[in-house]
Amino acid sequence: MRRLSLAAAATAVTLLAAACGGGSSAGGSGGATGGTLTLAPLVQAQPWDLKDAGLGNNTQYYQPVYDSLLRLDPKADPVANLATEWSYDSTNTVLTLKLRTDVKFTDGTAFDAEAVKANLTHTQTGTNEAAGQLKVVKSVEAVDASTAKITLSAPDPSFVANLGSVAGMMASPKAIQAGTLKNEPVGSGPYTLDKAATTAGSVYTFVRNPNYWNTSAFPFDKIVLKPLTDPTAVLNALRSGQVNGAVLTNAQNIAPAKSSGLTVSEYTPGDVEGLYIWDRGGTKVKALGDPRVRQALNYAFDRDAIVKTAKQGLGEPTAQVFNPTGSAFDASLNQKYTYDPAKAKQLLAEAGYPNGFEVTMPDVSAVFPSQQALMTQQLTDIGVKVKIDKIPVDQLISSLLAGKYAMSYFVLASFRPWDTIVIQGQKDSLWNPFKYSDPTVDGLIQQAQNATGDAQAALFKQINTMMVDQAWNAPWDFVENAYVTTKGVTVTPQAYAAVPPIYNFKPAN
Amino acid sequence: MIAFLVRRVVAGVVLVLVIATLTFGLMSLTGQDPARTIAGQTASHEQVAQKAAELGLDRPLPVRYADWLSHAVRGDLGSSWFTNEPVTSALGNKLPVTLSIVLAGLLLSAVLSVALGVAAAVRGGWLDRAVQGLAILGFAVPSFLVALLLALVVAVKLGWLPATGYVPLEQSPSLWTQSIALPAIALAVGAIAATAQQVRGSMVDVLKMDYIRTLRSRGVSERSLLFRHALRNAAPPALTVLSLQFIGLLSGAVVVEKVFGLTGIGTEANSAASQGDVPMVMGVVVVMVLMVVLVNLLIDVAYGWLNPKVRVS
Repeated sequence: MRRLSLAAAATAVTLLAAACGGGSSAGGSGGATGGTLTLAPLVQAQPWDLKDAGLGNNTQYYQPVYDSLLRLDPKADPVANLATEWSYDSTNTVLTLKLRTDVKFTDGTAFDAEAVKANLTHTQTGTNEAAGQLKVVKSVEAVDASTAKITLSAPDPSFVANLGSVAGMMASPKAIQAGTLKNEPVGSGPYTLDKAATTAGSVYTFVRNPNYWNTSAFPFDKIVLKPLTDPTAVLNALRSGQVNGAVLTNAQNIAPAKSSGLTVSEYTPGDVEGLYIWDRGGTKVKALGDPRVRQALNYAFDRDAIVKTAKQGLGEPTAQVFNPTGSAFDASLNQKYTYDPAKAKQLLAEAGYPNGFEVTMPDVSAVFPSQQALMTQQLTDIGVKVKIDKIPVDQLISSLLAGKYAMSYFVLASFRPWDTIVIQGQKDSLWNPFKYSDPTVDGLIQQAQNATGDAQAALFKQINTMMVDQAWNAPWDFVENAYVTTKGVTVTPQAYAAVPPIYNFKPAN
Repeated sequence: MIAFLVRRVVAGVVLVLVIATLTFGLMSLTGQDPARTIAGQTASHEQVAQKAAELGLDRPLPVRYADWLSHAVRGDLGSSWFTNEPVTSALGNKLPVTLSIVLAGLLLSAVLSVALGVAAAVRGGWLDRAVQGLAILGFAVPSFLVALLLALVVAVKLGWLPATGYVPLEQSPSLWTQSIALPAIALAVGAIAATAQQVRGSMVDVLKMDYIRTLRSRGVSERSLLFRHALRNAAPPALTVLSLQFIGLLSGAVVVEKVFGLTGIGTEANSAASQGDVPMVMGVVVVMVLMVVLVNLLIDVAYGWLNPKVRVS
């Protein structure tokens, strides 16, 4: 009895203490004071060693501690940072960087060309996304302390911009050599990790690096990152002021966020969804080898309705796979395939398929139920008989890459024009599972790879036009994200980025 | 009693081994491709193959399992494939979160279910009907719904308690209490409902027994009669329910942790399983099974303490 009474009393006191605690936040984030910026990344932190670093949502973990050779402005164009100047040779395969001479890592090691060499050659050995962007690096030479020369195995029009993200981040060469980066990050960035206030997996606290060379670009004294994966938890954390910024993955949460006085910024991070036609050569499904059939598939989709119903408005209808921010994009191409089922049927008849054709597609209803329902309906409307193959969603990517399906619903990354070409436009591209190629497009790609500036942009546009005219795919829309911030914090969305970099956040005052 | 406990411990170890083996086998059948997930959607086949080799996925399943087991028995559960964090250290960070909300939920259920169950059995009438009605309601409403409502009303609208996050006890007992209060209540509602019904039923039965009438006729105070004699005899069935509730609360924590943004074992289990992070899944499973075994062992001991007949048998 006494035990029970004590337990009851303890519980009562505990709950009373909890209730009397008022509204102060559990994490003590401090809210939008200008002193602390608390963000809620969607993903858990990946290893601190840059060779194991991911991109996209992972970048916010690395930005506080690691400075990058270049920085990307909101349009994702590279601007000077640790490297003050950069230039290619005439072959576009040798990049010379001039480096700052006043930078030190937080362990006292000087940042110089040897550090650049140590970092790029180290990160390149990894198997994660950042390492993938450096596979093209053939060698790095430290010409002198402030000059580094990077030789590429082939021209890579996206390489310079990639140095403005995780692939171009610099860790202390001493820590790389000692192999201690797996325990804690040692960089030269605007902040350092406060290990005492950090609990792996739940909260990461970064405090100012007093010796950082560009403090004014980072107005907050402290950055706190609290990974949150559940959409409701994210919304509640924003509404209660526990975090200052986060991505809303559930479009249904946008209206409650707005009505709570939060600021919602919609932006395109760089993903295109829609019907991807993998078998353009007609190897598996003969009909798909005829451009008129692929064009018919494009006319079958009511892109505006799809965005409105399946995406609750979070998307930008498109008929092209190239990102609107890039030089390959041509707005007029989006008018080419306006919704016209009658025209689709006519094209199918002209191609010799008046009664349509049959195609097997993988089941994606577990993750994209509305998209699958709409796609199946609109294809059926023009006479295409869709057979859905039930496969576990975990096996979708490997099945598609193995060429198991002639076409499917999919979401594929689309960043800079060259990235899009490398991902899906070349014969040996990973996302060209049937190894389709068009000699004209191949020739344009080769020219674009070796060109620069306006000439390169014009070539990218020609490639895009060819791909739309020949209906390589039937894209629906650019996926849009909603980034939400609390009062007192403003953010500028970043092109080609899943989340804005930390230097795009400012106190509202 | 000691021989009994030794038998239970051995059975527990066997259980851990069997479940670990099954889990390892099942994880290999999911068709997940963690190497591709880590390397990224646009990584080349060569990069993915390199990552797979790095993770040891190019070896046969029995070799991988033997490797894991030989390390696990020495206390080395490996490192997460996705974060490189040692599994033991990751679980060490996450276990306090889950245990805090589950034990607080269990304490709440124990205290409130006994109070409500005894009151309903003794007073009867409208109180009994009210407790039974509330118990049915509490049992019917899923914990995630309670969690969503509590987060929205108490945390967001009223601002009394934090909507998300966990503060370690050693950092601030007051903030720790605030951070676990709502998740613990959300978890406890169903458990209180089930256990209160059980306590009420047992108490009603015990109070009708002859020895209670005898004790009452001998002038034993009503308070002593209820708590010293009746409740002690009515407790074992309730304890069984409570021990089952502990296991239920552990599973309920998976959802409740997500709603309150707590990075506990439940959240870890969820994300590790969906990503195919085998070392982390194995670590979570081993720890969960060990906890269940331990709780059952404690319940056996508690039975003995409450009822001498158990000790004798």
